[in-house]
Parts: sequence; C-alpha cells; structure tokens
Amino acid sequence: MGYTVSVRLSGYRNLVLSRLGQGVLVIFLAYVLSFIVVSVLPGDAITNALHDPQSGLSEEDIARIVAFYGLDKPVLIQLLLALGRFVTGDLGISLQSGLPVTDLVFDALPSTTFLALTALILALVLAVAIAVGVHLLPSGAAGILRSVPSFFLSVPNFVIGLVLISVFGFTLHTFTITEPNAPVATFFAALTLAIPVSAPLAEVLISSLDVEARQDYALVARSRGLSRVNVFAQHLLKPSALPSVTMVALLIGEPLGGAVITETIFGRNGVGTLVQRSVGAGDQPVLLAVVVLSAVVFVLVNLIADLSVPLLDPRTSVTKKKKAVVS
Amino acid sequence: MNSPIVKRRSFLTGTGALAALAILTACGNKPDVESTGSTSPVRGGALTFLIQGFDAGWISSKTSISSYEGNLWGHLTDKLVYVNEKGDVNPWIAESWDENSDATEFVLHLKKGVTFSDGTAVDAKAVVENINAWAVGDADRGIAKVGLFPSASFESAKATDAATVKVRFSSSTLGFIATLGYHGCILLAPATLKSSTEEQADLAKNIGSGPFMLKSWQQGESYVLQRREDYAWGSKALGYSGPAYLDTLTYKVVRDASVRTSTVLSGQADVSFNVEPQEIDSLISQGFSVSTPRYLGFVDGFQVNTQTFPTNQASVRQALQHGIDRQEILSTIYTQDWQAASTFIQGTVPEAGDFADHFNFDLKKATDGLEKDGWTLESDGFRHKDGKLLEITIAANPYVPSDKAMDELIAQQLQRVGIKLNLKVIDVANYSAWQNNEPPLLHTSRSFVDVGTVAGILTNRNGGEDWFKLGDSDEKLNKLSDQIAQAKNRKDRAKVANEQQKYVLDQAYFIPLVQLVQRLYLSSPKVQGIQYNGLAYANFYTAWVTQ
Repeated sequence: MGYTVSVRLSGYRNLVLSRLGQGVLVIFLAYVLSFIVVSVLPGDAITNALHDPQSGLSEEDIARIVAFYGLDKPVLIQLLLALGRFVTGDLGISLQSGLPVTDLVFDALPSTTFLALTALILALVLAVAIAVGVHLLPSGAAGILRSVPSFFLSVPNFVIGLVLISVFGFTLHTFTITEPNAPVATFFAALTLAIPVSAPLAEVLISSLDVEARQDYALVARSRGLSRVNVFAQHLLKPSALPSVTMVALLIGEPLGGAVITETIFGRNGVGTLVQRSVGAGDQPVLLAVVVLSAVVFVLVNLIADLSVPLLDPRTSVTKKKKAVVS
Repeated sequence: MNSPIVKRRSFLTGTGALAALAILTACGNKPDVESTGSTSPVRGGALTFLIQGFDAGWISSKTSISSYEGNLWGHLTDKLVYVNEKGDVNPWIAESWDENSDATEFVLHLKKGVTFSDGTAVDAKAVVENINAWAVGDADRGIAKVGLFPSASFESAKATDAATVKVRFSSSTLGFIATLGYHGCILLAPATLKSSTEEQADLAKNIGSGPFMLKSWQQGESYVLQRREDYAWGSKALGYSGPAYLDTLTYKVVRDASVRTSTVLSGQADVSFNVEPQEIDSLISQGFSVSTPRYLGFVDGFQVNTQTFPTNQASVRQALQHGIDRQEILSTIYTQDWQAASTFIQGTVPEAGDFADHFNFDLKKATDGLEKDGWTLESDGFRHKDGKLLEITIAANPYVPSDKAMDELIAQQLQRVGIKLNLKVIDVANYSAWQNNEPPLLHTSRSFVDVGTVAGILTNRNGGEDWFKLGDSDEKLNKLSDQIAQAKNRKDRAKVANEQQKYVLDQAYFIPLVQLVQRLYLSSPKVQGIQYNGLAYANFYTAWVTQ
C-alpha cells in the first residue's frame, strides 16, 4: 500500500516537472516566433510616427532617431539583445509612448482581468440557466431555448455591445460611457463578452445532460419515484458538469480575445486596447510582452487543468500509464 | 469557434451600420439644456472632450504636432506667438519683436511675470533652451527636432537680458516668427527639456506654463486637467488673458466614432473629435454644432512624381489636372462646410491666390492632350501607348478619413478620360513604406504656419523634400523657390509665392482636390466660447459651459 502511494507520488512529480518544462518551452517559443513575425512586418513605431506627413522631418533626421532606439541593427542582433533583457525580467520601453512596457501592461491588466472573470462567471450562469431550462421546462419552451446557444454564437460581439450601449447607456441611462470602469458599465461590457462564450458551454452542458439522462441509473432513480427536479439536481448535474470544466479551460482565452472589440466599444483601457494600438503602431516591445503574458496565462490554466484531472478522477490516475514502475 | 479575421472585418462594416442605430436612439433625447445664446462667460464647470486615443505618448518632440496629443499639449503649455485662423501672427509670451532689414536677426521681448507651473520663470534663459530644442533636438537622446523649424539657416539663440532673446540665422528667414506659433513649438520648463526620454514619456513630469495643469490621468483612458488659478498671460488675440473659465477639462478616450458621437448626443459628454462628413447635417438639425476649421497648409491633393511612369509624361499630368471634376467631389462627398481649392495651398494662408482656372475641369482638354500624345482608347475602355496601359495606383491617406471615398469617385471620373486608377487602402503602419516607394501620385496632408515652408519643400534646394522628384532640373521652379527662401520682405515674397503657385499648377506638378478639413469637432449647445487657431486645434481656454 505504502509502496503504491509513493510510486503514485513520484509519477505525479514527474508529470508536474515535465509539464512545467513544456510550459517554459512554449513561452520561450512564443516569444521568439512573435519577435520574428513582428520584425518581418513593415515599419516600426518610431519610423511610422516620424513619417507622419505632418512631422516634416528629413530622412537623415529620422535615421538618427531610429539609430538611437537600435532599430537599425540586424533582426538577429535585436532578438538576442531583447532576449537578454527578457531573461532578466526587463520588458523594455514602449517604442510608441516611451513608457516602460511593464507599467503599460500592469495598468491595463486589472481592468481586463476583472472584465474577463466577470464575463466568465456570467457565461457560466447563462449556460447553466439555459441547460437547466432545456431539461426542466415543458418541451415547447425547451425547444426554443435549445436554439438560443446557436443564436448567441451567430451574433457578432460588437453588435451585442453596440445594442447594449444604445439601449442601456444612451436610452435608459443605466450607465455612462464616460465612466467605463463603474460596476454597471463593467457588467454590460462583461455581458457583451459572456453571451458568445456562454453558447458553446451551454451546448456541451445540454448534450452531456442528454447523455446522462438516458443512462440506466437515471432510469432507476426515476423508477424509484424521484421527481424530475430531484433526479436532475441529485444525479444528473454532477456527472454532466465534468466535460464543461474542460470546456471552461479551453474558453478562458475567448474573453481575452474578445476584449479587443469590447474594450474598444466601451471605452475601456485594457490589454485588448493595448494590443490594438501596439499592433497598429508596430510597437514591438509591447506586443511581445502581451504575447508572453497570454502564453503564460494559457500555460498556467492548462497546467492547472492537466494536473488537477488525475487528482480528481481516479480513472485517469498516472500510475496506470507507468507500467514499468509497477513491475 | 468564431474566426477573428471575419470578426474584425465585419466589425468595421458593422460599426458603420450600427452607428446609424446608435445615433437614431440617441436622437430621442433632446439636449438637456437649450442653447441660451448667452454671450457672457460663466466661470466654473467641467467640460468633457472625447477623443479616439492618446496612443503616441507624451514625449513632446514626438507628439506635440499630433491631432490628438497636440490638443492636450495646447492646454498645458503656451507658445511665444499666437497664429489665428487667418494666419495673422499675434503676440503671446513674446510681447513684441524686432527683426533686422534682411530678416536674419530677431529680437524677442518677453512678457514678464510668466511662470511654469513648477514656479520657475519663463524667462529669456528658458526660452533659449526651448528654441535650441526645437531647432536642433538631441538625436543622441532620441529627441527629434521640430520638423517645420527653419533649422537649416538657424545659427544661435542668446539671452541678452532676463526678458530679451536674440536669434540669428545665416540667411533671411522670414518665416521664423510665424513658426513660433506652430504646434511643435511649445514652451516647456528647462527641467523637462533636460530630462531623459523615459521621464518625458511620463505626462506628469512635463511642466508647462499653460492655462491648465495635469490633475490626474489614467494611461490610455482619461486625463483630467485643472485650471491654473494664477494664469494671467493668455494671448490678447483670444480676447481674454485671465484664468480659464472651466474648472476642469477632461479628455476621455473613446475609440469608436459612432459611440463618441452618440455619447455627446445623449448628453454624457460635451465635445467629440471627428465625425463623418455625411452626419453633419443631421447633427446640426438636432441643435448641436459641428466645427470644421481649416488649418493653414497644403490642400488635400496629389503631389506628382515627375520621374516615374506614367506621370513623367506631361500629357498624363495635364489629363489628371483637368480630368477631375472637383465640383462633383464637393457635392458628393462633402457638405457645404468644405470649400473648393483655389490653388494648392489652403485659402486661409494669406499668400494663397485664386488660380482655380489653372486647373479647371475640362474633359476635352484632358482627352485631346492624351490623344495628341499617342495615348489611344482601346476596347477595354482605357488608353494605351506602345503596348502600355495608362494606369496609376494610389493609396488613400490614412491620416485623412474622407480620402477613401474621394479616391473612389476620382477613379470613376478618370475612367471617362481613359485612365485606370487602382485604389489601395493602407494603414498608418504601412503608409511610410508606401511613401518611400515614390508612387506616381501621393496624397498630401501638411500644415504650415508660414508660406516660406512651401519654398523649402517643393524642390531639393535649401534641404527640401523634393516633392515632385525634380531634383534641381526645373530651373524656373528653382529660381522661384530661391526667391521665396531669400525674400527679405513679405510683400515681395507674396508676389513670388503667387508666381510659384501658378507655375506648379500649370505644370501639373500638384493636383489640388479640395481644401482640407482634417479636424472636426461636434459640440453640445451647452458649450460656448471654443476658439480655433491657425492649425485647427480647438482651444478650450476661453470656453465655458452653461448650466
């Protein structure tokens, strides 16, 4: 018995270490690849700004400033210099605004994190509400409800946002655009993000509820005289929730991606708008920081999901795969 | 899952369509306060100005000329002179000035008692440091000079006493004083000028002497300016010199144009930057005002590359000059707030002549010239010569939003002449690469405060930009440019400037389209007293809000 536990623990430790190693590799590759992609694109933040026809600077004037920022060096040298700084935790200076990249990212991060978390919670609530409704409502209403997720998926994010702003912001005056971080304004921005994210979640929940409802144990529970609501709450909900947990981990990137549009429309300053303006300007250090940040978030979320599944579900125990250790 | 590419593309078309919806919804609400028509200013109150972004940051040498950051700089800082919308140069921090007979030496007499918001004096020493920064910059610290400053002939700036500055140039520089009113030439505290670019990037560390001071800011979101109570040195040209009427001036970043417009319509903000030309009539009928100030500078038009196919041929240049129906452009794309070009510089520039007959719409003249030159119309509807199709690719200027629609119409018009115009849409990030390609036709948007700039940039003489790629091959243009650059008095210079305008138009080196309005402002009827300077910047110093 003691032997089995220690084998399981050492197997688990190996899993943790290998997953961590893979995570670091993913982050490193994300950095290098995006550096190359950004370098291949024409223009950079400094050259673009100085070439504004309004600025009236000569090519020599521009060349001297570009040289100051080291942008005239070969891409490979620039990459090595940037990597050297990156390893020591220095993300550099934004070429566009001259501000430290760390400041820009940490200014934008809380707003986006709050928005994304609120959106995820709202999406979960919406998805559960839809799935529960489909299973408990009479078949007519349930049928209509079943088509709601595909409707949610087919309406573009910005349409939802503009309609919400137009109705609740400008007509009902529930919130003001000029206070984008107020709780009510944040709620509507999060709802804009939550609606498309809730759709696939609801679909997964509905179909796994369908599957569980056809299982023998559900039939047995019903035959023992349990009501529909009781069967649903005590027997079906828990097993059906498992696939949704994986789905949530996959969907965590959606609010981050959708934030570009939602933040733009709602006038919020967040990671999304930071990406938008640094892409537009070719602000390489900021772009790289955001790419690395997203890579870290994805790696962490997947790490947590990967590492928690063997702990939660005995069927996926790591010892089963490690036959060599057992013999 | 949703494809981000499709999403983004439909995002762009969708926002346009939904703008209408947003405006319609907002239309239901009448503005809270009817215009009182009161003309006496009210002290106190807060004004919120919606703008699409402050992305370029706060290194002043990089952003004081921007349409966005430049507006905020204009409220934090002062300039030596004030150039009004007619191009007149008025005293400001420089109370008066003298210049010698050949315009090589200038003496600025400064207003006394002016201070930066950190308490240091705006004295001759501080002004000298600012002039040096504008003229030379500091490339080793990554700080660019001010593009329009007459640096080529700049020699020195010296403080002769606490309130007098003497500036010397190696040759006649009539444009110097006017340039001091350019939005690049903002007065900053010497401590700010000395600081590193990283410190200058922090708005709070930029100290000016303007009517407002920074109160608080959230990077990329909102910037609150607060009235400076001891301010007493506004330019007399504004009709007022005391502290600003507004308690606070708040800039809010709202990127989406339709949301900006609707926010003002719903009464949640007072002024918004840039609306679409086609929305103007409906906004005005709802009691709002839309201002379309024109800046001093070049009109919207094409600079022609005379060295590349097919614009290296005079017949093609003439066909472009006379084949475009500018009246149709005005009536189709724009409202009555836009004006026809009368030359290639804006009508507000004092030296602008009326030479509209040098580039009138004349289909026959355009086609006859091509015909005579051997460009024959073929079955595809376009002209060919020596097996070559007469086609030109142009890119809309990403800095001028209405250019795209205008280019589409021009392409239709030139089809009647037999010229195939290919349209390209290029974003700001890729526009410099496009300019470096030296295309046959390049959209121009350029402001200036003194007509001397024109002489400086058309050819490669005097360190110019050689707009038409003529080098020094056109002797007449060289001579005219030199005469403008070396002119010793403004009257003579105006005469030569007119000569030059006619010559450039006759050679079809520049193809004017319409007088340029690059900065539009939507404001609520509650707001009064906004003024616009020669660069079309809204000035809220004299503005007030009625309650």
